[in-house]
Amino acid sequence: MISELVDIVARVAPPDGAQWLQQQLVFDKSKFAVAFSAVGRKLGRGPITPADVERLARAGVAWSSTSTVDECGRAALVLAAVDALDPSAQVVFVRDLIRRGDVPERQAVLRVFAALPQPERFVDIAIDACRTNVPSVFEAIACDNAYPVSHFPDPALHQMVVKALFIGAPVGRIVGLSGRITDELVRMVDALVSERRAAGRPIPDDVRLISRSGL
Amino acid sequence: MKLFDPHIHMTSRTTDDYQAMAAAGIAALVEPAFWLGQPRTHVGTFEDYFLSLLGWERFRASQFGIRHYCTIGMNPREANDPALVDDVLALIPGYLEKDGVVAVGEIGYDDMTPAEDRCFAAQLELARVHNLPALIHLPHRDKKRGCERTLAVVREAGFPPGKTIIDHNTEETIALTLDAGCWAGHSIYPHTKMDEARMVALVQRYGTERVLVNSAADWGVSDPLKVVKTRDAMRAAGIPDASLSRVLWLNPIEFFAQSGRLDLAELEGNLAVDQRQLHEGNSVLRGQTPRVDR
Repeated sequence: MISELVDIVARVAPPDGAQWLQQQLVFDKSKFAVAFSAVGRKLGRGPITPADVERLARAGVAWSSTSTVDECGRAALVLAAVDALDPSAQVVFVRDLIRRGDVPERQAVLRVFAALPQPERFVDIAIDACRTNVPSVFEAIACDNAYPVSHFPDPALHQMVVKALFIGAPVGRIVGLSGRITDELVRMVDALVSERRAAGRPIPDDVRLISRSGL
Repeated sequence: MKLFDPHIHMTSRTTDDYQAMAAAGIAALVEPAFWLGQPRTHVGTFEDYFLSLLGWERFRASQFGIRHYCTIGMNPREANDPALVDDVLALIPGYLEKDGVVAVGEIGYDDMTPAEDRCFAAQLELARVHNLPALIHLPHRDKKRGCERTLAVVREAGFPPGKTIIDHNTEETIALTLDAGCWAGHSIYPHTKMDEARMVALVQRYGTERVLVNSAADWGVSDPLKVVKTRDAMRAAGIPDASLSRVLWLNPIEFFAQSGRLDLAELEGNLAVDQRQLHEGNSVLRGQTPRVDR
């Protein structure tokens, strides 16, 4: 996974930036925070291609076509750092990256959740990330990310899906959702449709991915 | 006609907003403690926030002739942080006895998790112990079910419904709230929650008893003059002025007076502005001539 991310960086980022990233992949606790925050300036913020997304998917992690080279660079740094840490320190490390991160930093960390070792340990952090008011951070965990469907219990997954409908995040990009649709989720979506109808407000198109009541 | 906005987050608003609100007749407001758009990660941040609601923000409002009251509480979003919740809950009782604190709030549900259940129940108990009303907001998602569950919690706690505001009601929850004996708050928003025309229809259908209207203006796209605009829409629809005054002035006073911390005679008079005053050395003015009402 790290090698695929590094290849993307090598192609999209300026050569000195890609070289810089290689050096940072050797984890040094005292230097990590500075490097992690500098990624956008070092690698630029250029777009990646659909072929990159496919390659990452083949390596086992769903990725977003809206992702950028700095996000890929940060993702590689997180995975390398977690690999270098003692297992008992990994959860706190990731939690603090989310807690102290700015918006692009949070997004990059959330993108790699499915690739973290023993990923079920990070479920509380991922559920909490869905409480954000920043749509791009919400989408980093909810959309094009295999983590929620693999690890969220039903109540948290239902809240995430209804929130996606509520804020207009693309429900069609929730990875694997069709296998997790329950009667309770359909009821919640139907309730949203009913509430919108009573208020005379538009019904999100994406409800049809879950329920027929919006048709 | 004097107006009362019973739910507005002035910490996030500008002095232009205060001036416009005062000019439009808003004479008093309640600022509920809520979250700030992203989660706080230290108990000390909560304490400073409570202190700013009681201190600087009340002073700022007074400089524009508006009486500022607040509610103190831990909101449900941040109630999901296990590292914070007990410390914040331990902090709250010390603030509930302060002058100008007229309820415990905003409390209630967001995701309807077990952590939210616990924080909600603990704060209803604090309201009971401190003899204060409770300001409870409804979740945005799964709202009707959230309303039923909220009302069940209030009922099972034995908390008096007459001292409870259920806020952010819609067409699908107002009857549940009123039938339970609670007060029904409505947040008038530019695009979501409730709008002026729908609010007119609700008052025409459900009357004015225990019905409240607020702007819930905060750091998002919202409008601190929504109480004024709702009055205008209700008046244009032929609702008599006595009913407008009931919903937009007398009802919030009647509700929050249950705290024992509203001076009703004082509220009837106007708050004299003296912009020569300072709060901890700070003025709201930046070189302007101070306004001083005699």
